[in-house]
Amino acid sequence: MANENGQVYGLTILSPIIEDQRLDIEHATQLRWYLERMPRDHHSPFAKVSSTYLARLVVLDDVVFVGKPACEEHLKSRYLIFETNFDGDLDTYLKRMAAEVPTFVHDVWQHCVGYPGVENVDAFVTYMKKCQIETTFFFADVNDHTVQQTLIALKTQSSLAHFVEKNQGQPPAELQKLFGAFLKRLDTEPPPLPGDRRGDKSPAEDPAHD
Amino acid sequence: MIRADHTRIDVSDIQGFALKGYSFPHARFLLLELLECKDAQNFLKELLPSITTGERWDRKPSSTLNIAFTHKGLGKLRLPLVTLLSFPPEFQQGMKARGDILNDSDKNSPEHWDAVWREERVHVWLGVYADSLTALETSCSRLLQIMDRTHGARLLQAQEACAIYLHDKPTPNEHFGYRDGFGNPDFKGAERECVPGQGKLMADGSWDALATGEFLLGYADEAGELPVAPIPHLLARNGTFMVYRKMHQNVGAFRNYLTAKGKIYPGGKEKLAAKFVGRWQDGTPLELSPDGENPDIVKDDNRNTNFTYGKDLAGTRCPIGAHIRRANPRDAFGFTGQLSNRRRIMRRGMPYGKFVPDGEPVDDQEERGIIFMALNASLFRQFEFVQQQWIEYGNDAKQGNDKDLLTGNHTGKGKFVVQGTDDPRNPPFICANLPNFVELRGGDYFFMPSLTALQLMASGGVDPR
Amino acid sequence: MTNINGKAYAMNAITPMKPWKTPILRLIFFVFGAFKCLQADLKNLSFIHFARWVIIGRNQFPHLSSEQPAENLHYDYMIFFSNFNGTWNQYIDAFSAVLATGLNKIWQWSEKFPGSVPVTPFKDYIRLVQFDTDYYYNCYPKATTNDVKAALRVQDALNHFKETSQTLSPAEFEKAYQDFLIKVQPDLGSTGVAPVGT
Repeated sequence: MANENGQVYGLTILSPIIEDQRLDIEHATQLRWYLERMPRDHHSPFAKVSSTYLARLVVLDDVVFVGKPACEEHLKSRYLIFETNFDGDLDTYLKRMAAEVPTFVHDVWQHCVGYPGVENVDAFVTYMKKCQIETTFFFADVNDHTVQQTLIALKTQSSLAHFVEKNQGQPPAELQKLFGAFLKRLDTEPPPLPGDRRGDKSPAEDPAHD
Repeated sequence: MIRADHTRIDVSDIQGFALKGYSFPHARFLLLELLECKDAQNFLKELLPSITTGERWDRKPSSTLNIAFTHKGLGKLRLPLVTLLSFPPEFQQGMKARGDILNDSDKNSPEHWDAVWREERVHVWLGVYADSLTALETSCSRLLQIMDRTHGARLLQAQEACAIYLHDKPTPNEHFGYRDGFGNPDFKGAERECVPGQGKLMADGSWDALATGEFLLGYADEAGELPVAPIPHLLARNGTFMVYRKMHQNVGAFRNYLTAKGKIYPGGKEKLAAKFVGRWQDGTPLELSPDGENPDIVKDDNRNTNFTYGKDLAGTRCPIGAHIRRANPRDAFGFTGQLSNRRRIMRRGMPYGKFVPDGEPVDDQEERGIIFMALNASLFRQFEFVQQQWIEYGNDAKQGNDKDLLTGNHTGKGKFVVQGTDDPRNPPFICANLPNFVELRGGDYFFMPSLTALQLMASGGVDPR
Repeated sequence: MTNINGKAYAMNAITPMKPWKTPILRLIFFVFGAFKCLQADLKNLSFIHFARWVIIGRNQFPHLSSEQPAENLHYDYMIFFSNFNGTWNQYIDAFSAVLATGLNKIWQWSEKFPGSVPVTPFKDYIRLVQFDTDYYYNCYPKATTNDVKAALRVQDALNHFKETSQTLSPAEFEKAYQDFLIKVQPDLGSTGVAPVGT
């Protein structure tokens, strides 16, 4: 199955966006503005659908004209591209979207042709699958751990480095005791939040989305 | 061994500073402001006969002179607007505006720079090297007289630099005590011996010179094209770009840190100092001699930089994050080193300030450090990349956000991992809470034109397409 | 900067292909998949979390209602999605330097592709065919794929070590701890903010 690589599923959906000349602000524009305002950190809807590694939403305005001798042509509709990489199977993921972030799903897909709403989960899943495009080639650098396992590992890595440096030179018995305490602390710490960027401010990103 | 190649470069048209390290013990960098355009052109005209080219010397002169310009300086010479706008964006912006990319923040931010750099007033860099203080003074007086006579330029600051003397002899050392100057890149057409380890690594393990276009404009580069260059071609050809950074060294802080960590590092202080850099303080590479200094290797140009990291990917000889391994990874990232070939820089640094021997008290408020200068065809792709991605960051080396211990902008945080073995003298060890051992005090980006280009600029004859 | 979230960059690129070339490209991808050579090279470069190529035939754009006008296209389209680490320039420089052959095999079927070497015309082409991301989510914004792989190795080593660590004598523990450090020492880099992307 070209959509899968190990435990990771690569979903690509192209949803045609409603074209309605009568509107003051077109659906595609409304959608863009909505997406611009959405949080992209641990408050993101995709943090709730927590099996998501990396996901994007893109409004595709048109195909590209690369210049003569290629022909110029244009799409008759705009499309919402939804590209996401997640743990597990497709049905579970789509159902989670409908169940855990129904407002977000509605706010986005209400601008798209044929969207049936999220109340009927099966109808929603069928609709999304109708817009699914088969992946031709899918690369995943890490494909054998879940999001949760990965986030825990990152926390472990950071805590361990800190422990090692702090306790250099300790006598063996003491070190063993401290290490035992460290392991206990690691186990009792709350699980890390997906999408969490706190403590960091990257100058490249819009501070409004921190 | 000199390798045969088909690249001919016109050494009489290229400024000598771009082609060779002069090995003089004394230098003064005159930082100038250009005045009225016509006067500035006359000033330049008078300097032209004295500019040192890349020609081979029958007898080494007692002093040399080279010149480079900031973008503002080129503007003062009234180069055509189209030409000025055709220079690479990073050069047009100048180094101060590139602070986000270079991570010149906190202690390295412009508020801590010398005024002349903070206020971006420098138009011209004159590099004067000499074999004695007398020769240096003579040269500089002459230059000041020309400035006075033509009213073409005004001296903003004269930056002294001087080799560190040990036992009354000049050495290639810098203030932390390390011998410097190894590993400058070989490139095709340069008339000097190809030193194994300085060029690019080939599939069979041999070393070849890099493409000329990595260091000089107008020649093919490693990507098989001419590097991005200003127009017209005649202005750019045989020229290059230079970065100048005045790097203050906190020698006291460094020695204190090394002493403190050296006490708990089982390998000892000297070895820890070697682990920071990747070479023992005498210059012996850790890859070739992990257990101690080896003067025989240092003396031998066929050996002192002839090594790779392919057999030490675990970093147990030379730590993965050591300074020289970060600045020039060679084959450490796989792919026969191809990911390093376009990131090389030609260094021409010179210490400044009074040297204080180890063991004597040293005041970090005193002016002391290194004038770091590096030459490359593309500031963005070469110097800026190494600084941003390999010094101030460690992802390519798989060291996450860890910075270079020696020169990184740590602000008291960060760490450096010394990878080790089960040999009790070479254990794993982490150095954390790193202070800024080096602080930036200013600098800028310069264009170092060819002799032909200088003529054009002096006569106002630059004609863009 | 909607293309960037933490240390990841979301690149989208769409290129037109003459329909007769599409089956050739599908075959090439099949071969890449079967022989794992491209996968291996991409893993070694270690820049990319996830990447995919999606071919949309000229008649395959979803058509869901009679009110939606049907597309009438001359070309098939290939869309490339990448989630990569590093700056835009760094990413393309690296690919051009070491994966040129593989890239050419994929993109030579797209109209007006100039080849991946030399790099400047290649970058110009990418600028032409790249389109921006409107919304990008990253579950681990402070980590690159290198960081992730390192962390998973550390966790794995720790899981093995902690089973025995508390039952050993202090002397045995000292040796085991040292062995454990030697195992994880290349993988202890910190995570955090990415350098400024260009």
